[in-house]
Amino acid sequence: MVDAVSMVFPDGTKALDKVTLAIKPGEFVSLIGPSGCGKSTLLRIAAGLESHTSGDVWVDRDSLGYTFQDATLLPWRKVLANVELLMELRGFDPAERRRIALEQIELVGLSGFENHYPRRLSGGMKMRASLARSLALNPAVFLFDEPFGALDEITRERLNDELIALYTVQKFTGLFVTHSIPEAVYLSTKVVVMSKRPGRIVASFDIAFPEPRSPELRYSSGFAEMCGEISLALRNAMEG
Amino acid sequence: MAKSPRKLAVERYLAKPLAARPGLSQRLAAALLPPLLMGVLVVIAYIWTRSGLETHRQFLMPTLEGLWTRAFSKPEVLGQLFNAAVTTLSIALAGLAISIPIGMLLGVVMFRFRVMERAIFPYLVALQSIPIPAIIPLLQSALGFGFLPKVLIVALFTFFSIPTTLLLGLKSVDRSIIDLFRLQKAGWPTMLIKAGFPSAAPTLFAGLRISAGLAVIGAIVSELFFLSGPGGLGQMLINAKIDFKYEQMYAALLVSSVLSISVYLLFSWLGNRLFSEWHESGGR
Ligand SMILES: Nc1ncnc2c1ncn2[C@@H]1O[C@H](COP(=O)(O)OP(=O)(O)O)[C@@H](O)[C@H]1O
Ligand SMILES: [Mg+2]
Repeated sequence: MVDAVSMVFPDGTKALDKVTLAIKPGEFVSLIGPSGCGKSTLLRIAAGLESHTSGDVWVDRDSLGYTFQDATLLPWRKVLANVELLMELRGFDPAERRRIALEQIELVGLSGFENHYPRRLSGGMKMRASLARSLALNPAVFLFDEPFGALDEITRERLNDELIALYTVQKFTGLFVTHSIPEAVYLSTKVVVMSKRPGRIVASFDIAFPEPRSPELRYSSGFAEMCGEISLALRNAMEG
Repeated sequence: MAKSPRKLAVERYLAKPLAARPGLSQRLAAALLPPLLMGVLVVIAYIWTRSGLETHRQFLMPTLEGLWTRAFSKPEVLGQLFNAAVTTLSIALAGLAISIPIGMLLGVVMFRFRVMERAIFPYLVALQSIPIPAIIPLLQSALGFGFLPKVLIVALFTFFSIPTTLLLGLKSVDRSIIDLFRLQKAGWPTMLIKAGFPSAAPTLFAGLRISAGLAVIGAIVSELFFLSGPGGLGQMLINAKIDFKYEQMYAALLVSSVLSISVYLLFSWLGNRLFSEWHESGGR
Protein backbone atom coordinates (compact mmCIF):
# COMPACT_ATOMS: atom_id res chain seq x y z
CA MET A 1 0.00 0.00 0.00
CA VAL A 2 2.74 2.45 0.93
CA ASP A 3 6.28 1.67 -0.22
CA ALA A 4 9.42 3.51 0.79
CA VAL A 5 7.57 6.78 1.04
CA SER A 6 9.55 9.81 2.10
CA MET A 7 8.24 13.27 2.68
CA VAL A 8 10.13 16.51 2.92
CA PHE A 9 8.05 19.65 3.38
CA PRO A 10 8.96 22.74 1.36
CA ASP A 11 10.41 24.35 4.46
CA GLY A 12 12.88 21.46 4.77
CA THR A 13 11.08 19.58 7.53
CA LYS A 14 11.76 15.92 6.94
CA ALA A 15 8.58 14.25 8.10
CA LEU A 16 8.79 10.67 6.81
CA ASP A 17 11.79 8.52 6.01
CA LYS A 18 11.20 5.54 3.70
CA VAL A 19 8.05 4.29 5.35
CA THR A 20 6.81 0.98 4.06
CA LEU A 21 3.46 -0.27 5.20
CA ALA A 22 1.28 -2.85 3.51
CA ILE A 23 -2.26 -3.37 4.68
CA LYS A 24 -4.21 -6.33 3.39
CA PRO A 25 -7.92 -6.05 2.71
CA GLY A 26 -9.87 -6.66 5.90
CA GLU A 27 -6.99 -5.76 8.18
CA PHE A 28 -7.30 -3.10 10.82
CA VAL A 29 -3.92 -1.56 11.49
CA SER A 30 -3.16 0.96 14.19
CA LEU A 31 -0.30 3.39 13.87
CA ILE A 32 1.24 4.67 17.04
CA GLY A 33 4.19 6.96 17.54
CA PRO A 34 5.50 10.05 19.28
CA SER A 35 3.68 13.28 18.64
CA GLY A 36 4.94 15.07 15.54
CA CYS A 37 6.54 11.97 14.01
CA GLY A 38 4.56 12.21 10.79
CA LYS A 39 1.51 10.03 11.40
CA SER A 40 -0.96 12.58 10.12
CA THR A 41 1.33 13.32 7.22
CA LEU A 42 1.34 9.64 6.28
CA LEU A 43 -2.46 9.51 6.32
CA ARG A 44 -2.71 12.71 4.32
CA ILE A 45 -0.36 11.27 1.71
CA ALA A 46 -2.35 8.05 1.57
CA ALA A 47 -5.53 10.08 1.07
CA GLY A 48 -3.97 12.24 -1.63
CA LEU A 49 -4.24 15.43 0.40
CA GLU A 50 -0.48 15.90 0.32
CA SER A 51 2.08 14.84 -2.29
CA HIS A 52 5.00 12.77 -1.11
CA THR A 53 8.46 13.58 -2.33
CA SER A 54 9.61 10.04 -3.10
CA GLY A 55 8.39 6.46 -3.00
CA ASP A 56 5.18 4.82 -4.15
CA VAL A 57 1.65 4.82 -2.82
CA TRP A 58 -1.16 2.50 -3.89
CA VAL A 59 -4.55 3.33 -2.52
CA ASP A 60 -8.05 3.02 -3.91
CA ARG A 61 -8.94 6.66 -3.45
CA ASP A 62 -12.48 6.32 -4.74
CA SER A 63 -13.70 4.30 -1.81
CA LEU A 64 -11.81 6.05 0.91
CA GLY A 65 -13.20 7.11 4.24
CA TYR A 66 -11.33 9.65 6.35
CA THR A 67 -11.99 11.02 9.80
CA PHE A 68 -10.08 13.96 11.16
CA GLN A 69 -8.85 14.63 14.64
CA ASP A 70 -11.84 16.86 15.26
CA ALA A 71 -15.27 15.96 13.93
CA THR A 72 -15.13 18.63 11.17
CA LEU A 73 -18.86 18.98 10.94
CA LEU A 74 -20.15 22.01 9.06
CA PRO A 75 -21.53 24.15 11.88
CA TRP A 76 -24.25 25.68 9.70
CA ARG A 77 -25.72 22.31 8.80
CA LYS A 78 -27.86 20.18 11.03
CA VAL A 79 -26.74 16.63 11.77
CA LEU A 80 -28.79 15.11 8.98
CA ALA A 81 -27.47 17.52 6.35
CA ASN A 82 -23.94 16.95 7.63
CA VAL A 83 -24.26 13.21 7.25
CA GLU A 84 -25.60 13.76 3.74
CA LEU A 85 -22.75 16.06 2.72
CA LEU A 86 -20.31 13.58 1.20
CA MET A 87 -23.07 11.82 -0.71
CA GLU A 88 -24.21 15.22 -1.93
CA LEU A 89 -20.71 15.94 -3.22
CA ARG A 90 -20.64 12.55 -4.90
CA GLY A 91 -23.90 13.33 -6.65
CA PHE A 92 -26.19 10.81 -4.97
CA ASP A 93 -29.86 11.25 -5.65
CA PRO A 94 -31.59 13.19 -2.82
CA ALA A 95 -34.04 10.51 -1.75
CA GLU A 96 -31.29 7.92 -1.73
CA ARG A 97 -28.96 10.01 0.38
CA ARG A 98 -31.71 10.86 2.85
CA ARG A 99 -32.41 7.16 3.28
CA ILE A 100 -28.75 6.22 3.75
CA ALA A 101 -28.14 9.14 6.11
CA LEU A 102 -31.01 8.17 8.37
CA GLU A 103 -29.77 4.60 8.36
CA GLN A 104 -26.25 5.63 9.34
CA ILE A 105 -27.50 8.04 11.98
CA GLU A 106 -29.39 5.20 13.53
CA LEU A 107 -26.37 2.93 13.30
CA VAL A 108 -24.19 5.35 15.28
CA GLY A 109 -26.98 5.93 17.79
CA LEU A 110 -27.83 9.53 16.95
CA SER A 111 -31.50 8.99 16.14
CA GLY A 112 -33.51 11.90 17.45
CA PHE A 113 -30.66 14.36 16.90
CA GLU A 114 -31.05 14.71 13.12
CA ASN A 115 -32.24 18.29 13.48
CA HIS A 116 -29.65 19.48 15.97
CA TYR A 117 -26.89 21.85 15.02
CA PRO A 118 -23.40 20.52 15.82
CA ARG A 119 -22.76 23.12 18.48
CA ARG A 120 -25.48 21.55 20.60
CA LEU A 121 -23.85 18.10 20.52
CA SER A 122 -21.28 16.71 22.94
CA GLY A 123 -17.81 15.81 21.68
CA GLY A 124 -18.67 12.13 21.48
CA MET A 125 -21.87 12.81 19.56
CA LYS A 126 -20.04 15.02 17.08
CA MET A 127 -17.55 12.25 16.46
CA ARG A 128 -20.39 9.79 15.90
CA ALA A 129 -21.95 12.12 13.36
CA SER A 130 -18.57 12.41 11.67
CA LEU A 131 -18.26 8.61 11.52
CA ALA A 132 -21.77 8.31 10.13
CA ARG A 133 -20.90 10.84 7.44
CA SER A 134 -17.91 8.78 6.27
CA LEU A 135 -19.65 5.43 6.63
CA ALA A 136 -22.48 6.63 4.42
CA LEU A 137 -20.17 6.22 1.42
CA ASN A 138 -19.53 2.64 2.48
CA PRO A 139 -15.77 3.04 2.18
CA ALA A 140 -13.58 0.03 1.47
CA VAL A 141 -10.62 1.71 3.15
CA PHE A 142 -11.01 3.87 6.21
CA LEU A 143 -8.31 6.20 7.51
CA PHE A 144 -8.66 7.53 11.05
CA ASP A 145 -6.50 10.35 12.35
CA GLU A 146 -6.75 10.17 16.14
CA PRO A 147 -10.53 10.39 15.96
CA PHE A 148 -11.10 9.85 19.66
CA GLY A 149 -8.02 11.68 20.92
CA ALA A 150 -9.96 14.62 22.30
CA LEU A 151 -12.59 12.54 24.10
CA ASP A 152 -12.68 11.43 27.71
CA GLU A 153 -11.72 7.84 28.55
CA ILE A 154 -15.28 6.62 29.13
CA THR A 155 -16.64 8.02 25.88
CA ARG A 156 -13.59 6.75 24.05
CA GLU A 157 -14.11 3.17 25.23
CA ARG A 158 -17.77 3.33 24.28
CA LEU A 159 -16.90 4.58 20.82
CA ASN A 160 -14.24 1.88 20.47
CA ASP A 161 -16.92 -0.75 21.00
CA GLU A 162 -19.22 1.01 18.57
CA LEU A 163 -16.46 1.19 16.01
CA ILE A 164 -15.89 -2.55 16.34
CA ALA A 165 -19.60 -3.12 15.78
CA LEU A 166 -19.51 -0.90 12.67
CA TYR A 167 -16.37 -2.63 11.44
CA THR A 168 -18.04 -6.00 11.84
CA VAL A 169 -21.00 -4.84 9.75
CA GLN A 170 -19.26 -2.82 7.04
CA LYS A 171 -16.01 -4.78 6.70
CA PHE A 172 -13.73 -1.92 5.75
CA THR A 173 -9.96 -2.03 5.85
CA GLY A 174 -8.73 0.34 8.52
CA LEU A 175 -5.66 2.42 9.26
CA PHE A 176 -6.07 4.01 12.65
CA VAL A 177 -3.74 6.61 14.12
CA THR A 178 -3.89 6.93 17.88
CA HIS A 179 -1.72 7.77 20.85
CA SER A 180 -3.54 5.35 23.12
CA ILE A 181 -1.90 1.93 23.30
CA PRO A 182 -4.95 0.12 24.78
CA GLU A 183 -7.12 1.59 22.06
CA ALA A 184 -4.70 0.39 19.39
CA VAL A 185 -4.52 -3.12 20.80
CA TYR A 186 -8.23 -3.36 21.39
CA LEU A 187 -9.23 -2.36 17.88
CA SER A 188 -6.52 -3.75 15.66
CA THR A 189 -5.31 -6.84 13.96
CA LYS A 190 -1.89 -5.22 13.77
CA VAL A 191 -0.15 -2.39 15.62
CA VAL A 192 2.72 -0.52 13.99
CA VAL A 193 5.09 1.71 15.93
CA MET A 194 6.77 4.71 14.35
CA SER A 195 9.98 6.42 15.44
CA LYS A 196 10.24 10.09 16.20
CA ARG A 197 10.71 12.44 13.27
CA PRO A 198 11.62 11.68 10.55
CA GLY A 199 9.11 8.88 10.99
CA ARG A 200 10.14 5.31 10.24
CA ILE A 201 8.37 2.07 11.09
CA VAL A 202 10.37 0.53 13.91
CA ALA A 203 8.19 -2.28 15.19
CA SER A 204 5.11 -4.20 14.22
CA PHE A 205 2.92 -6.44 16.37
CA ASP A 206 0.26 -8.86 15.23
CA ILE A 207 -2.67 -8.81 17.60
CA ALA A 208 -4.21 -12.26 17.57
CA PHE A 209 -7.10 -11.87 20.02
CA PRO A 210 -10.29 -13.41 18.67
CA GLU A 211 -12.80 -11.22 16.90
CA PRO A 212 -15.16 -9.59 17.42
CA ARG A 213 -13.49 -8.10 20.46
CA SER A 214 -15.56 -7.66 23.56
CA PRO A 215 -15.00 -5.38 26.55
CA GLU A 216 -13.84 -8.31 28.74
CA LEU A 217 -10.69 -8.41 26.64
CA ARG A 218 -9.58 -5.14 28.21
CA TYR A 219 -9.27 -6.83 31.61
CA SER A 220 -7.41 -9.95 30.47
CA SER A 221 -3.77 -10.49 31.31
CA GLY A 222 -2.87 -11.18 27.66
CA PHE A 223 -4.17 -7.73 26.77
CA ALA A 224 -2.11 -6.05 29.47
CA GLU A 225 0.99 -7.94 28.36
CA MET A 226 0.53 -6.86 24.76
CA CYS A 227 0.09 -3.25 25.84
CA GLY A 228 3.25 -3.51 27.91
CA GLU A 229 5.30 -4.81 24.99
CA ILE A 230 4.13 -2.04 22.71
CA SER A 231 4.71 0.52 25.41
CA LEU A 232 8.31 -0.65 25.63
CA ALA A 233 8.75 -0.50 21.85
CA LEU A 234 7.30 3.01 21.82
CA ARG A 235 9.70 4.06 24.54
CA ASN A 236 12.64 2.76 22.55
CA ALA A 237 11.28 4.57 19.53
CA MET A 238 11.21 7.85 21.44
CA GLU A 239 14.80 7.46 22.57
CA GLY A 240 16.32 5.98 19.43
CA MET B 1 11.53 19.32 62.94
CA ALA B 2 8.21 18.02 61.74
CA LYS B 3 6.12 20.65 60.04
CA SER B 4 2.92 21.37 61.83
CA PRO B 5 -0.06 21.55 59.44
CA ARG B 6 -0.66 25.06 58.24
CA LYS B 7 -3.54 26.87 59.69
CA LEU B 8 -6.34 27.26 57.19
CA ALA B 9 -8.69 30.19 57.01
CA VAL B 10 -11.80 28.26 56.12
CA GLU B 11 -14.63 30.34 54.80
CA ARG B 12 -18.25 29.43 54.40
CA TYR B 13 -19.76 29.97 50.97
CA LEU B 14 -23.45 30.50 51.06
CA ALA B 15 -25.70 28.71 48.63
CA LYS B 16 -27.37 30.93 46.07
CA PRO B 17 -30.81 29.56 45.23
CA LEU B 18 -32.00 30.12 41.72
CA ALA B 19 -33.84 33.43 41.71
CA ALA B 20 -37.32 33.44 40.29
CA ARG B 21 -37.39 34.77 36.75
CA PRO B 22 -38.31 38.46 36.95
CA GLY B 23 -41.73 39.32 35.58
CA LEU B 24 -42.26 41.04 32.24
CA SER B 25 -42.76 44.48 33.75
CA GLN B 26 -39.57 44.12 35.78
CA ARG B 27 -37.59 43.05 32.74
CA LEU B 28 -39.02 45.88 30.68
CA ALA B 29 -38.12 48.34 33.39
CA ALA B 30 -34.58 46.96 33.60
CA ALA B 31 -34.19 47.26 29.83
CA LEU B 32 -35.86 50.63 29.29
CA LEU B 33 -35.23 52.62 32.44
CA PRO B 34 -31.49 53.27 31.97
CA PRO B 35 -31.80 54.67 28.43
CA LEU B 36 -34.91 56.64 29.42
CA LEU B 37 -33.17 58.23 32.38
CA MET B 38 -30.19 59.01 30.18
CA GLY B 39 -32.55 60.61 27.68
CA VAL B 40 -34.05 62.81 30.39
CA LEU B 41 -30.52 63.85 31.41
CA VAL B 42 -29.70 64.77 27.82
CA VAL B 43 -32.87 66.86 27.53
CA ILE B 44 -32.06 68.65 30.78
CA ALA B 45 -28.51 69.32 29.55
CA TYR B 46 -29.99 70.66 26.30
CA ILE B 47 -32.37 73.03 28.06
CA TRP B 48 -29.62 74.16 30.41
CA THR B 49 -27.20 74.85 27.54
CA ARG B 50 -29.93 76.75 25.70
CA SER B 51 -30.72 78.93 28.68
CA GLY B 52 -27.02 79.84 28.80
CA LEU B 53 -27.11 81.19 25.24
CA GLU B 54 -27.59 84.88 24.53
CA THR B 55 -31.19 85.51 23.51
CA HIS B 56 -30.39 86.42 19.91
CA ARG B 57 -28.58 83.10 19.46
CA GLN B 58 -31.24 80.92 21.06
CA PHE B 59 -32.75 80.19 17.67
CA LEU B 60 -29.85 77.74 17.19
CA MET B 61 -31.44 75.44 19.73
CA PRO B 62 -35.19 75.31 19.26
CA THR B 63 -37.36 74.53 22.25
CA LEU B 64 -39.14 71.23 22.53
CA GLU B 65 -42.53 72.81 22.09
CA GLY B 66 -41.20 74.70 19.08
CA LEU B 67 -40.05 71.39 17.64
CA TRP B 68 -43.56 70.10 18.17
CA THR B 69 -45.60 73.10 17.04
CA ARG B 70 -43.46 74.01 14.05
CA ALA B 71 -42.40 70.59 12.84
CA PHE B 72 -43.78 67.35 14.17
CA SER B 73 -47.38 68.50 14.62
CA LYS B 74 -47.64 69.98 11.11
CA PRO B 75 -48.96 67.53 8.53
CA GLU B 76 -47.16 69.24 5.64
CA VAL B 77 -43.81 69.08 7.48
CA LEU B 78 -44.43 65.48 8.39
CA GLY B 79 -45.24 64.70 4.76
CA GLN B 80 -42.09 66.46 3.69
CA LEU B 81 -40.06 64.53 6.25
CA PHE B 82 -41.56 61.27 5.10
CA ASN B 83 -40.90 61.94 1.43
CA ALA B 84 -37.38 63.09 2.19
CA ALA B 85 -36.73 59.97 4.25
CA VAL B 86 -37.98 57.76 1.42
CA THR B 87 -35.75 59.58 -1.08
CA THR B 88 -32.70 59.30 1.17
CA LEU B 89 -33.43 55.67 1.91
CA SER B 90 -33.78 54.85 -1.78
CA ILE B 91 -30.41 56.49 -2.50
CA ALA B 92 -28.86 54.54 0.36
CA LEU B 93 -30.34 51.20 -0.72
CA ALA B 94 -29.49 51.74 -4.38
CA GLY B 95 -25.91 52.46 -3.32
CA LEU B 96 -25.81 49.25 -1.32
CA ALA B 97 -27.29 47.38 -4.27
CA ILE B 98 -24.20 48.42 -6.20
CA SER B 99 -21.53 48.05 -3.54
CA ILE B 100 -22.65 44.71 -2.11
CA PRO B 101 -22.57 42.59 -5.29
CA ILE B 102 -19.47 44.26 -6.70
CA GLY B 103 -17.75 44.09 -3.32
CA MET B 104 -18.59 40.40 -2.95
CA LEU B 105 -17.43 39.63 -6.46
CA LEU B 106 -14.15 41.38 -5.73
CA GLY B 107 -13.80 39.48 -2.46
CA VAL B 108 -14.25 36.17 -4.26
CA VAL B 109 -11.82 37.11 -7.02
CA MET B 110 -9.20 38.15 -4.47
CA PHE B 111 -9.73 34.90 -2.59
CA ARG B 112 -9.53 32.72 -5.65
CA PHE B 113 -6.47 34.34 -7.18
CA ARG B 114 -3.72 35.34 -4.82
CA VAL B 115 -2.25 37.55 -7.55
CA MET B 116 -5.48 39.51 -7.67
CA GLU B 117 -5.37 40.01 -3.92
CA ARG B 118 -1.86 41.41 -4.19
CA ALA B 119 -2.92 43.55 -7.12
CA ILE B 120 -6.18 44.89 -5.72
CA PHE B 121 -5.84 45.13 -1.98
CA PRO B 122 -3.49 48.15 -1.86
CA TYR B 123 -5.91 50.10 -4.03
CA LEU B 124 -8.82 49.17 -1.80
CA VAL B 125 -6.92 50.63 1.12
CA ALA B 126 -6.07 53.69 -0.95
CA LEU B 127 -9.72 54.10 -1.92
CA GLN B 128 -10.67 53.87 1.72
CA SER B 129 -8.22 56.61 2.60
CA ILE B 130 -9.70 59.13 0.14
CA PRO B 131 -12.07 61.50 1.94
CA ILE B 132 -15.09 60.84 -0.23
CA PRO B 133 -16.69 64.30 0.08
CA ALA B 134 -13.51 65.60 -1.53
CA ILE B 135 -14.24 63.79 -4.79
CA ILE B 136 -17.91 64.70 -4.92
CA PRO B 137 -17.33 67.87 -7.00
CA LEU B 138 -15.41 65.74 -9.49
CA LEU B 139 -18.28 63.26 -9.68
CA GLN B 140 -20.68 66.11 -10.26
CA SER B 141 -18.64 67.45 -13.15
CA ALA B 142 -18.47 64.00 -14.69
CA LEU B 143 -21.99 62.69 -14.07
CA GLY B 144 -24.16 65.71 -13.50
CA PHE B 145 -26.66 66.23 -10.73
CA GLY B 146 -29.06 63.32 -11.07
CA PHE B 147 -29.72 60.21 -9.00
CA LEU B 148 -26.74 58.23 -10.28
CA PRO B 149 -23.88 60.29 -8.82
CA LYS B 150 -25.51 60.23 -5.39
CA VAL B 151 -25.88 56.48 -5.59
CA LEU B 152 -22.26 56.16 -6.60
CA ILE B 153 -21.22 58.24 -3.62
CA VAL B 154 -23.11 55.88 -1.32
CA ALA B 155 -21.47 52.94 -3.06
CA LEU B 156 -18.05 54.48 -2.41
CA PHE B 157 -18.91 55.10 1.23
CA THR B 158 -20.05 51.54 1.80
CA PHE B 159 -17.70 49.59 -0.43
CA PHE B 160 -14.57 48.94 1.59
CA SER B 161 -15.86 46.67 4.34
CA ILE B 162 -17.58 44.27 1.94
CA PRO B 163 -14.68 42.72 -0.03
CA THR B 164 -12.40 42.89 3.00
CA THR B 165 -14.73 41.12 5.42
CA LEU B 166 -15.70 38.55 2.80
CA LEU B 167 -12.04 37.86 2.02
CA LEU B 168 -11.25 37.51 5.72
CA GLY B 169 -14.19 35.14 6.16
CA LEU B 170 -13.25 33.02 3.17
CA LYS B 171 -9.67 32.79 4.33
CA SER B 172 -10.76 31.62 7.76
CA VAL B 173 -12.62 28.55 6.55
CA ASP B 174 -11.53 25.58 8.63
CA ARG B 175 -8.62 23.77 6.92
CA SER B 176 -10.03 20.35 7.62
CA ILE B 177 -13.38 21.32 6.11
CA ILE B 178 -11.51 22.16 2.92
CA ASP B 179 -9.69 18.81 3.12
CA LEU B 180 -13.05 17.11 3.54
CA PHE B 181 -14.25 18.64 0.28
CA ARG B 182 -10.96 17.91 -1.48
CA LEU B 183 -11.25 14.24 -0.52
CA GLN B 184 -14.48 14.10 -2.52
CA LYS B 185 -12.73 15.90 -5.39
CA ALA B 186 -15.11 18.84 -5.12
CA GLY B 187 -14.34 21.71 -7.48
CA TRP B 188 -13.72 25.19 -6.16
CA PRO B 189 -17.18 26.59 -7.07
CA THR B 190 -18.75 23.82 -4.99
CA MET B 191 -16.38 24.57 -2.13
CA LEU B 192 -17.13 28.26 -2.40
CA ILE B 193 -20.88 27.77 -2.30
CA LYS B 194 -21.10 24.93 0.21
CA ALA B 195 -18.22 25.80 2.52
CA GLY B 196 -16.90 29.28 1.76
CA PHE B 197 -20.01 31.44 1.78
CA PRO B 198 -21.77 29.85 4.76
CA SER B 199 -18.59 29.91 6.77
CA ALA B 200 -17.76 33.51 5.81
CA ALA B 201 -21.33 34.77 6.17
CA PRO B 202 -21.15 35.90 9.81
CA THR B 203 -17.95 37.86 9.14
CA LEU B 204 -19.43 39.33 5.98
CA PHE B 205 -22.51 40.39 7.89
CA ALA B 206 -20.41 42.25 10.40
CA GLY B 207 -19.14 44.22 7.41
CA LEU B 208 -22.62 44.65 5.96
CA ARG B 209 -23.85 46.12 9.21
CA ILE B 210 -21.14 48.75 9.10
CA SER B 211 -21.88 49.47 5.45
CA ALA B 212 -25.60 49.74 6.10
CA GLY B 213 -25.07 52.39 8.76
CA LEU B 214 -22.69 54.26 6.48
CA ALA B 215 -25.12 54.10 3.56
CA VAL B 216 -27.58 56.53 5.12
CA ILE B 217 -24.75 58.86 6.14
CA GLY B 218 -23.36 58.68 2.61
CA ALA B 219 -26.76 59.45 1.11
CA ILE B 220 -27.18 62.54 3.28
CA VAL B 221 -23.65 63.76 2.62
CA SER B 222 -24.21 63.34 -1.11
CA GLU B 223 -27.40 65.42 -0.94
CA LEU B 224 -25.64 68.27 0.80
CA PHE B 225 -23.80 68.80 -2.46
CA PHE B 226 -26.83 68.49 -4.72
CA LEU B 227 -29.65 70.93 -4.33
CA SER B 228 -31.58 69.63 -7.30
CA GLY B 229 -33.78 66.64 -7.92
CA PRO B 230 -36.25 65.11 -5.48
CA GLY B 231 -35.11 66.28 -2.09
CA GLY B 232 -33.95 63.93 0.60
CA LEU B 233 -33.18 64.62 4.21
CA GLY B 234 -29.83 66.22 3.40
CA GLN B 235 -31.47 68.71 1.08
CA MET B 236 -34.13 69.41 3.67
CA LEU B 237 -31.39 70.20 6.19
CA ILE B 238 -29.83 72.78 3.89
CA ASN B 239 -33.14 74.33 2.84
CA ALA B 240 -34.25 74.60 6.46
CA LYS B 241 -31.06 76.50 7.21
CA ILE B 242 -31.54 78.84 4.28
CA ASP B 243 -35.13 79.52 5.37
CA PHE B 244 -34.14 79.88 9.01
CA LYS B 245 -36.47 77.03 9.92
CA TYR B 246 -34.29 75.52 12.62
CA GLU B 247 -37.11 73.41 14.03
CA GLN B 248 -37.41 71.63 10.70
CA MET B 249 -33.68 71.18 10.55
CA TYR B 250 -33.67 69.45 13.92
CA ALA B 251 -36.58 67.33 12.83
CA ALA B 252 -34.68 66.24 9.70
CA LEU B 253 -31.63 65.49 11.85
CA LEU B 254 -33.67 63.28 14.16
CA VAL B 255 -35.25 61.44 11.26
CA SER B 256 -31.80 60.89 9.66
CA SER B 257 -30.49 59.27 12.76
CA VAL B 258 -33.61 57.13 13.16
CA LEU B 259 -33.20 56.04 9.54
CA SER B 260 -29.54 55.19 9.99
CA ILE B 261 -30.24 53.21 13.14
CA SER B 262 -33.13 51.36 11.47
CA VAL B 263 -31.01 50.23 8.55
CA TYR B 264 -28.30 49.08 10.95
CA LEU B 265 -30.87 47.23 13.07
CA LEU B 266 -32.40 45.65 9.99
CA PHE B 267 -29.09 44.10 9.01
CA SER B 268 -28.35 43.06 12.61
CA TRP B 269 -31.72 41.40 12.83
CA LEU B 270 -31.22 39.67 9.49
CA GLY B 271 -27.79 38.42 10.59
CA ASN B 272 -29.23 37.14 13.84
CA ARG B 273 -32.04 35.39 12.05
CA LEU B 274 -29.57 33.67 9.76
CA PHE B 275 -26.82 32.67 12.18
CA SER B 276 -28.08 32.61 15.73
CA GLU B 277 -28.83 28.91 15.64
CA TRP B 278 -25.42 27.69 14.67
CA HIS B 279 -22.86 30.44 15.11
CA GLU B 280 -21.04 31.09 18.37
CA SER B 281 -21.99 34.75 18.19
CA GLY B 282 -25.65 33.76 18.05
CA GLY B 283 -28.17 34.30 20.84
CA ARG B 284 -28.23 32.16 23.97
N1 LIG C 1 2.64 21.79 5.92
C1 LIG C 1 3.73 21.55 6.66
N2 LIG C 1 4.88 22.23 6.45
C2 LIG C 1 5.96 21.99 7.20
N3 LIG C 1 6.03 21.10 8.19
C3 LIG C 1 4.92 20.39 8.46
C4 LIG C 1 3.71 20.57 7.72
N4 LIG C 1 2.77 19.73 8.21
C5 LIG C 1 3.38 19.06 9.22
N5 LIG C 1 4.67 19.44 9.36
C6 LIG C 1 5.64 18.89 10.30
O1 LIG C 1 5.80 17.52 10.03
C7 LIG C 1 5.92 16.80 11.22
C8 LIG C 1 4.91 15.69 11.25
O2 LIG C 1 3.62 16.22 11.43
P1 LIG C 1 2.35 15.29 11.66
O3 LIG C 1 2.28 14.31 10.57
O4 LIG C 1 1.19 16.18 11.84
O5 LIG C 1 2.70 14.58 13.04
P2 LIG C 1 1.79 13.63 13.94
O6 LIG C 1 2.55 12.32 13.99
O7 LIG C 1 1.74 14.24 15.30
O8 LIG C 1 0.47 13.49 13.31
C9 LIG C 1 5.76 17.77 12.36
O9 LIG C 1 7.04 18.08 12.87
C10 LIG C 1 5.14 18.97 11.72
O10 LIG C 1 5.58 20.13 12.37
MG1 LIG D 1 -1.45 14.23 13.99
